[in-house]
This record gives sequence, structure tokens and C-alpha cells, in this order.
Amino acid sequence: MPQTAVLELTNLKKTIKGKEIVKGVNLTLYPSQIFGFLGPNGAGKTTTIRMIVGLIKPTEGSVTICGYSVAHDFVKALSNVGCIIESPDMYKYLTGMENLLQFAAMNKTVSQQRIKDVVEMVGLQHRVNDKVSTYSLGMRQRLGIAQAILARPKLLILDEPTNGLDPAGMTEFRNLIRKLAYEDGMSVFVSSHLLLEIQQMCDMVSIIKQGRVIKTANVQDILHDDWIEWQLNDPEQAIAILRNHWNIEALQLKKNTIRACLSQHPLDKINDQFIREGLALTYCSAKQNTLEDLFLDLTEGDEIV
Amino acid sequence: MKLFSLIENEVIKMISKKRLMFVLAILVVLISVFAYGQKQTLERTKAQLSQRMGITATDDWRKLADQQLIDMKNRLESPYRDEKDKSSLLVRMEQLQYNLDHNLNPLEQSAAKFSTKFMEQAIFLFLPLLIIMLAADMVSGESSSGTIKLLLVRNVPRWKILLSKYLTLIILEVIVLFFAFVLSVIISGFFFGFGGWFAPIATGFKVLAGKLDTSSVFNVPQWQYSLMVYSLAYFVAVVVGSISFMISILVKSTAASIGIIMSTLVAGNFISFFLTDWKITRYMFMVNLRLTDYLSGSFQPIEGMTMLFSITVLLGWTIASVIISFVYFTKQDILV
Amino acid sequence: MFKKSMWYSIITIALVCFIVLSIGFYQAIMVTSKVSAQPSAKAQVPQVSEDSAKPSSKNATSFKILIMGDSIAKGTGDEKSKGFSSYLSEYFKNNTSKEILVDNVGIDGLGSLGLQEQLDSRRLDKTILDSDMILVSIGGNDLRSILSLNNLTKEDEFKVRLDNYLNNLKQTIKDLRTANPNSIVIFLGLYNPYEKATSVEDTRLLNTWNYDTQQLVEEDGKWIFIPTYDLMKYNLGRYIAKDGLHPNSAGYQALSNRISKSVEAIISNLSTQ
Repeated sequence: MPQTAVLELTNLKKTIKGKEIVKGVNLTLYPSQIFGFLGPNGAGKTTTIRMIVGLIKPTEGSVTICGYSVAHDFVKALSNVGCIIESPDMYKYLTGMENLLQFAAMNKTVSQQRIKDVVEMVGLQHRVNDKVSTYSLGMRQRLGIAQAILARPKLLILDEPTNGLDPAGMTEFRNLIRKLAYEDGMSVFVSSHLLLEIQQMCDMVSIIKQGRVIKTANVQDILHDDWIEWQLNDPEQAIAILRNHWNIEALQLKKNTIRACLSQHPLDKINDQFIREGLALTYCSAKQNTLEDLFLDLTEGDEIV
Repeated sequence: MKLFSLIENEVIKMISKKRLMFVLAILVVLISVFAYGQKQTLERTKAQLSQRMGITATDDWRKLADQQLIDMKNRLESPYRDEKDKSSLLVRMEQLQYNLDHNLNPLEQSAAKFSTKFMEQAIFLFLPLLIIMLAADMVSGESSSGTIKLLLVRNVPRWKILLSKYLTLIILEVIVLFFAFVLSVIISGFFFGFGGWFAPIATGFKVLAGKLDTSSVFNVPQWQYSLMVYSLAYFVAVVVGSISFMISILVKSTAASIGIIMSTLVAGNFISFFLTDWKITRYMFMVNLRLTDYLSGSFQPIEGMTMLFSITVLLGWTIASVIISFVYFTKQDILV
Repeated sequence: MFKKSMWYSIITIALVCFIVLSIGFYQAIMVTSKVSAQPSAKAQVPQVSEDSAKPSSKNATSFKILIMGDSIAKGTGDEKSKGFSSYLSEYFKNNTSKEILVDNVGIDGLGSLGLQEQLDSRRLDKTILDSDMILVSIGGNDLRSILSLNNLTKEDEFKVRLDNYLNNLKQTIKDLRTANPNSIVIFLGLYNPYEKATSVEDTRLLNTWNYDTQQLVEEDGKWIFIPTYDLMKYNLGRYIAKDGLHPNSAGYQALSNRISKSVEAIISNLSTQ
């Protein structure tokens, strides 16, 4: 694509206390995209996000935001970011407005008018002068978003943003995110373990499992693509063939089963080649996927909520 | 100028958290109790004096002072007097003369005397306690509530965030000292009157060869003495503040860091009692906190311990704490 | 906004106070660490020379008195700042034609041990040798602190103190005698300045103290113990200074009078020799 990436993760790795939690994540996020980061609990989502915003230093690899490296150009890189990491912890002993003023003071580009606008945008105008300790979870979530978008960031990072929201709140939240992305041109990076949320909100999705990104694709493509499943005697060789000759990333599901999304590639020619290369095909079928099927398959039934 | 806004943020948080108010409230209570106690002691002393000597200290003190003055003059003129006493005699005479000239009973308290004495007593335990309550919460409070994440994902480098917190602490320490002074003057003023700022106070004690040397003693006006006491107290506050600041960064829990540094301080008091022979104890910060004792000459002379020594030791601890704080804070991974 | 104005006042107070405190801190360091002009070292020199330069002539034209011991010996409490030094010479004038010279080496707060140390330093040897008469007042500071103890420990502590005191005094008598075998030594007994606030028990202790002292002192033929207790007992108001402890001018005069009466004969004797 011609546009410059808003966020680029290159081979990002993190080892904490001898345990490798993130094992080489590569991601690219473009302007006005809503990017879902899907994975079960403990897959490394939060660790990855913390590395993006510089709370954790990567063991290996790099994070680049709008062309600035987080490691070397922290201030410039972070100037383009607004975020909520896990729960939206605010200063409970301050009012909502005082909280926002705190963050506004840290960024000179924020005007009084902007604060007012943002408060209205998240619908907090009636309670903004109350102490945060009196807020419900949903209101804290809104305040969290307000502080994240205060400085009009190019990249909005939301870690599990809909935790604790009721269904009405979720819809409202989704609309707000879409508005920010499509009208204000923000790129949004949303992590979640909730499929439905990602499916409804995002354009692109990356699925992470045990510290590794196992699939990155357009949500619509994933949902509507034809997936082909093969049973054959040598899955490694088949994956190699698909990658080398057809530029297709295939996945090994079970012992003898692989699956791939063919897009426009002709299935018959692929099968021909398999046979030419001496593979024994026992079974081949086309599948219409939902994201959930895919997710369940990919994560081998790891519990998702 | 961003640093200024950051400090403003921190101060406003401190005000809103009510912790500063809490500290000031403790000050008010303690000073009142202390002043009341002083008044009781004073009255008891007077009663004792009048019982023992058959005089009432309130009206006969001038004659007593006159006579003491003459005695001291004689002593000064005696060829057999110990030369070392000379300056302390002169200083005593100057003080008595001042009392006589200004009709000030030397037994009487004044706001000036009280506020100074209060800080001299508070400097090694009570003042550090107040400072710890402020300092221990500054970083670990944000860690335990998770708000530290909000601060560190801004377009502000970490060291600047920490520096703003540290400078805020330095400012709040001034405020605590300021209020300790103002409150003790106001409260004790109601008990003892607001005067006494120009009375001469002896200082300039030294340790020579492990013994208290009074040969260079001289008088300074009370206000200057108070200023020096409060300045030293402020220095102690900065030292204790820096150390608690570091501990709160390392421990990340407010309660734990208050516990750690409080027990260290109390242990320090034990150490200075029991382990005076052990040379290494004098390099501990807790043993060096009683800086005002060097001014008043009331310290236990220990070989090698002087004002400069103590200040150097404390400064060493402070610098080390600040360096450790900054290095650790800028390198650490935030996992909360 | 309330918090905003609070912030401004805090930062203003902080800045001003910080500057003031910095100045105070600088002063505090200067006050306690600047190198003194060392008056003590300077002053010690003349003191030594003073002692050695003293004329050692024990000529026939002067009568020398040495007064040593505690604050009473020194004359503390006399509002005219005369003490024994002046009054004794005044009284003695009648008994001798010689010029009366007085040396007073009394030190405030001196105890029996301190007196012994003073003698041990040998600085006074020459003065002692030259004196015709020596007045010693000691023991008050040894005894005084006991009286404030409670009754249980008082008795034991008293015995310990008394023993120590008597030992010191024994040594003092010996040393004085060695330094000058001929002079008369007048020893002042103790009185009770707190007559109003004293129990029977305390009086008994004081009497024991005086009695034992007298016994010891008068083992030496040329020592004389002069009691003060009786003189002061009903005259505290007249004879005690405002500090409630030392004699005042009238008190010193009364005591000097008594001393002079006791040694009149000896002095006339000595003078005519």
C-alpha cells in the first residue's frame, strides 16, 4: 500500500523471568484502519500492547509509530498515541474534569474547547464534575476513552475496551470507535478475547496464540473466503509447496490435515501439483468459515469467553 | 515549561488526595499537645523552685540573674579559671545580660523558643515520619492504583515524570516545614506569647579529640538560630524523602515502603544507643539525623562525627537514592 | 479555581522558603564547622607562665592565704563579689601587721575528686608551699545530688558517696601536708541551704557527713574543722543568696567572722614570729 504505516511491529519478542511471552510478532497498521488483536487470555496481547506504548522494553525487535521508533524516539512516537491499557484506571480522588485537565496539561496542543468537545463526544457532560470514585465502570470506560483521544492521536490503542460494558454501552462504544476511525482518521488498535466484538468492529484482525501471530487478514476475507481442507500424508511438504508456488500460507490443523485460504487460486491446479510432487491425498473439502470456527481451530479449543 | 505543568499536576493530586491536609492535621494535634505539656512542665518547675528556695521565680529572677552575672564575672577574672570555659562564660553572661535588659525571665517559654525546641525534638523521628507519609505514596500510590500507566504512555520521557514527582516532593517538604514553623509559632504563641526572637542563643560547639569543645561558643539571635534549626530540618526532610522515594519505587507498595523506612528509622535509634562502638554505624543515615544537636552542643561526642561528617553521609545517601530511583524507574517494565 | 490558587500559593511559599532555608543551611554549616581562632590554645600559655613566674619569696612581710575548693571557697553568691578572699583579709588585718595576700583557686561545682585532681596536677604545689594558711571548702557537691534521691536508694548511695569522699579527702590531707608541712588548714563544714524542705532523715545524713569529716580532718594536728551548719540554720533568709544555695555577702561575712575568731590566736602568733 502506498500509505505509510501508523504502527509497525517487527519481530517483537519479550521474555519475562525466563519465559518467552511474545515470540516474534509482526504487524502493520495503516491509517483509518480498525485493527483487531484477537487471542485467548494469556496469549501475550497485553504484553504486546505494553511494548507498543513503551511500558515494557522489548527483548528483541522494534516498534515504530508513524515512523518513529518507540525505543529511540519515545516522545515523538508517543505523541501520536492515545491508549487505555487494561482497566481505565483514573485518579479516583479527582473529578472527571480534573483528570482530563491533568492529561491536557501534559500536552500543550489540547485546548479547553477540545476538552469540552471530547467530554460531549463520550457523553459524560453531566457527570464530569463528580469525583471518579462515584463513577460506574461504564462511565470510567468513557472517561478512559476521553483521555485517550484528547490530543487527537493518530493511533488509538484500546486494551480490552469493552470489559464491563452492558450491551447498549457496547453498541455505543462501537459506533464511537467507528466514528473516530472513519471521520477523524484515527487508526484504532483493539485487543480483545471477544470474537463478536472484533467481528463487528474491526477491518483487519490478527490472531495471536501463545505469543505468536498465527493469522493476519481482512475480517471480511476471513469470513467469506473459501477455505480448503486437505488430508494428506506429508503436510509439511504440502505447506512448503503452497508457500513456494502459490504464495499461500497454510495451517496445519491436525496430524494429517492442513487448511488454507485460496482466494482466487485454482484448486484443481494445486491438487495436480500435490499429486505430481508425490503426495497422497486422502480427502479434500471446501469450507465456509465463521471467525469463530477459525479461532477455535487455530487455538485448538483453548478456552475463549 | 512542561516540567512546571507536570509539577503542578503532582501538587494538585497531592492536595486532592488530602494527604497533605492529613499531615498538617497531625502537626496541629502534636504541636498543641507538646505546647500544653511544656506549659505544665514550666509551671511545675516554677512551683518546685519556689518550694525549694522560698522564692517565687516570677518576681525574684532578676536578683538571681544579677547575682549569677556577678559570679560569672568573678569567675572570668579569676586567674585559676579553666581557659576553655571563657567563651561559654561570656556567652552565658551575654544571655543573662540580655534577659536583664529586656526584662525576660530566662525560665519563661516563648513562641520563638518553643518552635525551635519543637523542631529539635521532631527532627529525628517525627518529621521523618511526616515526610515518609508524603514520599512513600508518590510513586507506589500510582503503581498500586494502576494510574502510573496513564502517566508513562504520554509524550513525556519517564525521567521527566519522575523528576516532576521528585521536585514536587522537595516542594511539599518545604511546605511541611513552613507549616510546622507557622503552626508551632501560632499555637505556642497562645500559650507563651509571640516574642523572644532576638534573645541570644549559644551555638558554635565543636568536637575536639572526641570531646565537646566550648571554646569557640558564641551567641546568635534566636531568629537566626531557629532559621538554622529549620534549615537543617529541611535538609533532613529531603534526605529522608529521597530515601523513602527510592524505597517506594523499588517496593511499589505504599504500606510496605512506609513500614520499611519507619522500622529502619526506629532501628537507627536503637543502633545509636547500643552499637556506638561499631564504626560502621556512623555511616548509616538514621544515626546522622540529629543535625540540630551540633548547633546546640547537646550531642554525644563520638570520635569523627561532626556536622560536616553527618551532612556528607546524608548527602551521600540522598544522591545514591536519587540515582537508584532514576535508573530503576527509567529501566523498569511496568507490569501492573 | 480553588485548587489552582492553592497551587500558586504553594509554589510561591515553597520558592521563598527554599531560598531562606538555603541561607540558613549555609549558616548552620558555617557556625558549626568554621575553624575557631583557638583562644584556648593561645590562652593556655600565659596561664602556665603566670604560675611559674609567681614570686616564691616566703618573706616575713606578707601573710599568705590560699583558698581552695568549691564555689563557696570561690565566693559564688556574694552580690558584692567579695567572698572569703576579701572578708578574711579584712578580719585578719586586726591580727597581723603583715600584708595579707590571698590566692583563690576555688572552682564552681568542684567535688572532692576534682579537688584531688587539682592537687595531682601539681600546678598548685608552689602556691601551697608559700601559703601560711589554707582554707578548704569541699564536699557540698559530693553530697548535694543525693538529697533528691528517693529514700530507698538514698541510704546506700549515701554510704558509697561518703566513703569515696572520705578517701579522696584523706588523700587531699596527705598531699597538702606533703606540699606544705607547716600551714594551718581550715576546713569548712557543710550547712543545709534547704532547711525548709528537708526531712529529719536528710538532716541525719548531713550530720553524719559533717561528723565523719570532722573526725578525719582533725586527725591532723594543724587542721581545724569549722562548722557552718549551726550558723546558717536559722539564718537562711539572711545569709543565703538568691540562688538558694550559696551564702550571700552577709553569709560570707558571718562565716569569715567565725573563722577569724577561731584562728585569731594562731595568726597573731604566726605574725609575731
